[in-house]
Amino acid sequence: MDNADKEEERTTQPEGEDLPPRLSEDKFYRALASLQRRRLLYYLLETTESTVGELATVLSGWEATTTGRIHTQADRSKCRITLVHNHLPLLANVGLIEYAPATGSVQLEPLHNRVEEIIRQCIAAEDGSMSPSDA
Amino acid sequence: MLDSLIAEHRETDHQFTVYWSGDEPDLETWLINHGIATESRPLPPNGPGPFIEIKTDGEVVGVIGVEAAEKLLEPPVLGLENQDGISEGYQVLLEALEKTVFSGMDRRDLLAVSREIEERAFRVGEGTLRVCFQTFSTFRSQLDVYRTLANETTLDIHIYGVEDWIPPRITGIAYHADAAERFESYWALAYDGGPDAANACGLVAKEDSDEYTGFWTNDSAIVEEIATMLRTG
Repeated sequence: MDNADKEEERTTQPEGEDLPPRLSEDKFYRALASLQRRRLLYYLLETTESTVGELATVLSGWEATTTGRIHTQADRSKCRITLVHNHLPLLANVGLIEYAPATGSVQLEPLHNRVEEIIRQCIAAEDGSMSPSDA
Repeated sequence: MLDSLIAEHRETDHQFTVYWSGDEPDLETWLINHGIATESRPLPPNGPGPFIEIKTDGEVVGVIGVEAAEKLLEPPVLGLENQDGISEGYQVLLEALEKTVFSGMDRRDLLAVSREIEERAFRVGEGTLRVCFQTFSTFRSQLDVYRTLANETTLDIHIYGVEDWIPPRITGIAYHADAAERFESYWALAYDGGPDAANACGLVAKEDSDEYTGFWTNDSAIVEEIATMLRTG
């Protein structure tokens, strides 16, 4: 029984290039170096699947609720352009998301628990709910 | 006739999507109570506070935090000179919700939107402002505002309504009571924007058992229609 389970595990193990980015890779930390990208990843952790349009709205809404400012059509469209030209290709390149520019669909790649944990901690630290002693 | 304008705008395609987690925001309930269909999207816990996305004909026209929007929907109805603090955000909200037909509005909601239109007319200082507050006695409560408008601008002001009170003579204000019977259920304002039609704005609402249904607009062609209907019936 034990042996059969191990066999199963080995066959479903993803290939090397599909592995989530390791925590020792510099590019993973570069991916997290932007507030917008951290928020985007956090949102995808819960929803898993989204679209460019929805992500632009979520990032605009997040900014709007943080600053108390209203995001106009122009603000959101700027946000969408940055997603398409910067954040989404970068995150896809690092292997954190799958992004299809033709359809605008965005999917989170399966992430290691520790990677998810780091993303959650980044967001918790943002709203000040984490005191320095927790860090 | 004003009825048909309201009916026409019921067909404008607006979509409201409320993003929230935890307790359903009052704003969503408010929109539903005001006859606006909404969609809900879940947000992750510990993420952003609730916010609302407004789409017109498939295009996103604004994203507004629910907390900020709720504050704006209960604006203090201030005098013309005290608008600085609230006006900027309110203006954006008014623009985002433009041409949306609301039902279940009360007189306070209408006064807030009316004040925004009066304030714009005051700032521009010229052009024509046509107003129907149903009855002259309702206009009476706004007399100070209109005295300021007439005294400090060159606006051409026309007041329509049922003559249940005799308003004072004020230079710059013309009263039209004779044709007003047919307007007694309507609360309407039409400001043509003076030299620049981009400043045009208007409001039409119809009273039905103490509640109002209507919309406001920044579209100069629609403002012109409201003005024509007030002028000619």
